[in-house]
Amino acid sequence: MVIERASVTANELIAEGIFQMNVSAPKIAGENPSPGQFINISVIDSWFHPLRRPMSIAGREGESLKIIYKIFGAGTRLLSEFPVGSFIDLLGPLGNTFELTEGATPVLVGGGVGLAPILWFDETLRSNGIDHTTIIGARHSGEHFLEHCPKEGFILTTDDGTVGIKGTVLPTIESICLEMENPKLFACGPEPMLKAVKQFAEKETVLCELSVESYMGCATGICQGCAIEHKSSSISEHSYHERFSLVCLDGPIYNAKDIRFP
Amino acid sequence: MSCNLTVEIAGVSFKNPIFVASGTFGYGLETQELTDSSSLGAVITKSITRHPREGNPPPRIVETPSGMINSIGLANMGVERYIDTVIPRIDEIGTAVITNIAGFSIDDYLYVMEKLEACKAPICGYEINISCPNVEAGRMEFAVDPELTGRLTESLREVTKKLLIIKLSPNVTGIASIALAAEQAGADAVSAINTVFGMSIDTQSRSPYVQTNVGGLSGPAVRPVGIACVYKISRKVNIPIIGIGGITSANDAVEYILAGASVVQVGTANYKNADTARSMIDELELYLAENGIENLSELTGGVIPNE
Repeated sequence: MVIERASVTANELIAEGIFQMNVSAPKIAGENPSPGQFINISVIDSWFHPLRRPMSIAGREGESLKIIYKIFGAGTRLLSEFPVGSFIDLLGPLGNTFELTEGATPVLVGGGVGLAPILWFDETLRSNGIDHTTIIGARHSGEHFLEHCPKEGFILTTDDGTVGIKGTVLPTIESICLEMENPKLFACGPEPMLKAVKQFAEKETVLCELSVESYMGCATGICQGCAIEHKSSSISEHSYHERFSLVCLDGPIYNAKDIRFP
Repeated sequence: MSCNLTVEIAGVSFKNPIFVASGTFGYGLETQELTDSSSLGAVITKSITRHPREGNPPPRIVETPSGMINSIGLANMGVERYIDTVIPRIDEIGTAVITNIAGFSIDDYLYVMEKLEACKAPICGYEINISCPNVEAGRMEFAVDPELTGRLTESLREVTKKLLIIKLSPNVTGIASIALAAEQAGADAVSAINTVFGMSIDTQSRSPYVQTNVGGLSGPAVRPVGIACVYKISRKVNIPIIGIGGITSANDAVEYILAGASVVQVGTANYKNADTARSMIDELELYLAENGIENLSELTGGVIPNE
């Protein structure tokens, strides 16, 4: 983990409300981040926004890192205003990574901007020749920036059917997983989607890893702000770090059966 | 010209007046990849309690303009694990360590302090978080009542000869009278301020952003509150004051020092960059050199108030 002033090499709108930023970050890239890991971004040098914004890494090529984000509030709006050639203060790489299970076929699921770590994982599996299927969901075609290629195992879904398969990602997950002998789900997206994926995985006893989001203070385990409820059998009256896990240190990837959403 | 940054509090010497605040630097060992803690004046640990604590359910934090609200709920490993796992490694921190203690009864505080005294922990003192509900007094916070603060301070004073610092809450009617109670009961110093009550509400869901509804506001947003508290306290007590609240630069530190602080603690700014406090030391030295100040102590309380 290092702090680096990275230079912005691209920052553009790639779909409705969705931006892609590329940065040249030799120090962070030099630590060999893996799919699932994130960086924590300072969106402004002033202290008006004292906290960084955690963002999953959406791709890496040499010293270049990619993030994909949506404007949700003032912080992400500031992020969208960084011109090419400017510098941005990053902390990373942080967090854990997706883990393959031997004998299980990966089924990757990304919803909304939760597609960021999924895209990088998809790319990595593809370049390593690992057979898998990827499902990317959005509300409508305007939010998609990739091609629907079901023959290559890359499936888009839209709530309104304007591109790809109509509906949420869930029916597609179900039909793909139920046809496979031993699927393993890897999902990142909005909480309602993660809850539905978790429910499906538990019902059908499908292996499942989820990448969860959380507000973060420091992203280094200091502030204890990014807690998530952890299912643990050994919770005593006086425990620490058993009932609550820290997304920054222990996550953001969790075995779906280990966590409980509010 | 070389400036003397060393400061002394009740006979304990610190290499400079830039400390890091409780809860923003872990137990002192977690930030080694990002900064050199040995440069700091002192490290104040996260609050340690009698038993380990999970803390509050999420969400626990939210950013607000120039600040953040937290509601962590004193999540910590508890005194036993602290003694077993952190104390043996305390040398790695490379500077003075002050252990922050929290509790819910006088006995709780005493228990933690006695354990640390008994193991001869190589720490230079204690900072007492009194912004905790006292279960023996109808959950009234120790910090809001001069008598409760006084009684707690007195009990702890009997147990230790080490530095005893009482950390004051701004959420009171008269912070200076609480500070005075701590001084009269034997505190070596007071630190001010702990977080300010704060609330932020999501207007779509109508839910407060932190699970406990109200949390503690920190960051640059509270800096003027902290400076005013330090100023008020300095008019009433003679023991050293440790200024805390929204410090992000040497200039901010100097504001606190002029208001009456002998040393300062950097808190929320550590979250953005754990190296913030360390980088302020050179900045402070530069300020002193540029202003022809040889000893930092010349600055303490040096504000020139308007008539």
